Amino acid sequence: MGPETVEAPSTLAARRRAPAARLAALRRSPEVGALAGFLAVFLGFSAVAPHFLTLDSLAGIMTIAAELGLVAIGVTLLMIAGEFDLSVGSVLGVSAMAFALMARAGAPHLVAFLAALALAAAIGALNGWVVTRGRLPSFIVTLGSMMFWRGVLLAVTGGFPIAYEGTSALFFALSGRLPGGFHASALWFLALALAATVVLTRTPFGNALFASGGNPQAARALGVDVDRVKRIGFVLTAVLAALAGIIQFARFGSVDPLRGEGVELEAIAATVTGGTLLTGGYGSVIGTVLGALIVGMVRNGLVLAGAPAYWYRAFIGLILVVAVIINLRIRRR
Amino acid sequence: MTRRMLHGLLVVLAMALALGACAPAAPPTPAPAKKEFTFYIVSHGGPADPFWGVVIKGMNEAAQRYPVEAKYFGPEKFSIQELVNLLNSAIAAKPDGLAVTITDPKALDEPLRRAIQQGIPVIAINVADPRPEGERIPYLFYIGMDEYLGGLRAAQRMLAVRTPKRAVCAIHEVGHVGLEARCQGFLDGMKEKNVPVEKLDIGTDPTKAVEALKAYFTRNPDTDALLTLGPLGTDPAVKFLKENNLVGKVLHGTFDLHPGTLSAIQEGVTLFAIDQQQYLQGYMAVTWLYLYKKYGLRPANDVLTGPSFVDKDNVGLVEALIKAGIR
Repeated sequence: MGPETVEAPSTLAARRRAPAARLAALRRSPEVGALAGFLAVFLGFSAVAPHFLTLDSLAGIMTIAAELGLVAIGVTLLMIAGEFDLSVGSVLGVSAMAFALMARAGAPHLVAFLAALALAAAIGALNGWVVTRGRLPSFIVTLGSMMFWRGVLLAVTGGFPIAYEGTSALFFALSGRLPGGFHASALWFLALALAATVVLTRTPFGNALFASGGNPQAARALGVDVDRVKRIGFVLTAVLAALAGIIQFARFGSVDPLRGEGVELEAIAATVTGGTLLTGGYGSVIGTVLGALIVGMVRNGLVLAGAPAYWYRAFIGLILVVAVIINLRIRRR
Repeated sequence: MTRRMLHGLLVVLAMALALGACAPAAPPTPAPAKKEFTFYIVSHGGPADPFWGVVIKGMNEAAQRYPVEAKYFGPEKFSIQELVNLLNSAIAAKPDGLAVTITDPKALDEPLRRAIQQGIPVIAINVADPRPEGERIPYLFYIGMDEYLGGLRAAQRMLAVRTPKRAVCAIHEVGHVGLEARCQGFLDGMKEKNVPVEKLDIGTDPTKAVEALKAYFTRNPDTDALLTLGPLGTDPAVKFLKENNLVGKVLHGTFDLHPGTLSAIQEGVTLFAIDQQQYLQGYMAVTWLYLYKKYGLRPANDVLTGPSFVDKDNVGLVEALIKAGIR
């Protein structure tokens, strides 16, 4: 609180006028804060990092943002519904491994793809069932789930990477190289972000997500099956994480037991930087897209700017916090 | 086949059979009559880990050649506490010799000093006690890789091909003592020849690693030497070099063997991989403990099983040995 609670009389007067009121309403939308953070990071790196404003660099940012963003879309929907999912990184790794093992055993790629997504859906459904049935905090449940599936991954791989050589049309569709250094994963990311935005803002299910996170009691009173909404949210989140994992596998042809580690926190960072509230009931997928792009820009931009190797992580943390502050200040002012 | 050749073949076969029939009189390999000593290897690596599977194979094959019994103990899941527990049980069994990975010098200090005081010969394998002599656990000697030397040799190997304009060490796990030592050796080796060189934090995620490399090479386009420190660095680096048509222009070296590394060497993308021949860590541990117990013989220095180079010349042999569980 502080400065934003004390408003100058002139500002109050200005708000009474219709265009100003519309501007204020715009400021309150989550995307605007994210856009401000995005522009600040973008302009900052454009100024200090040579080669930042090149197609190559843009493609690199997009490639990082696409895989992270796919996971973050699910995390955003679930966070809006008032729940966390810390298991996404492990689910990403497990799904990629399941796909790899099936492909190595000779399963057609499409079958392996669908089976791996189904496995993820089952993990998500289990997370959702335990959380809603047990009335347990999702933070703890999915923390346990994260450790469990990471352990499974370690046990099955014996600590070593699983490699697979082979390609298919599916691999190309998932992560093939496009002109300009882009990858097909970017198209999946943008298409699914668009679909999620439509679902969130234009459908009854989207309303139910907001209601479940914002005020579950009121939502239940209005006839929303809050538990079911959350369970669907968990399934969607896990499936999106799996998609990101298989997209990555399609590009590299190997999966190691550390795959996806730390993605859960990065996805939360992208989501919150994008204006979604940790407390639920408020947020936007477009904001998350911008948030994922911010993370991608920071990663790419810092190396391009020649940041010393061991300060790099510190800078990432710092810039993320600054982006969130800019975001929140813009919205509250 | 002519009748004569067939006839000749039959004669040879008959002779072989006749010889075979007489053979039992002289046993082909002298089977050790009784086990003279019992040695234990206690390590932080789980027996299910393929890396340690190779060490165990080395241990078993040495135990077949000498009149000794050798046993391997390692926690299923990495745990220093469990390692200490296993070590304490091993000491309580009063073996004739111990080979231990000094994964945590502080935690292993007390039990190992106790074992040495009880007169049990102790050697370190795979991980040495990094403290200076006098302070460190007074084991006989160390059998394993010198990580720093690995990095240094990597730099020298690249410099033998040509002097790079700029070199980079891509580290995927910042703060990992072994990886940092590899990197430091490389940095020192390159600096000696005044090659500008630095570390790059690429992380363990392959997508981000490729983009970090791409950004680094965009910023420093004169870079033409790249060292990665294990499979988590090799895979993204190979992808990066192929995708950006840098194969042949950038000298790439790496550490540790896995299928992706071997095929990159075969394709000529990667110049070499450095390996620690861990089979020797099991085999030599048993061999030296036997020679020490039997005759009091010991090497004057640590026994380095690595760095050992795998490159285009020996990659075929190494691939066959990996299948046989020896590398």
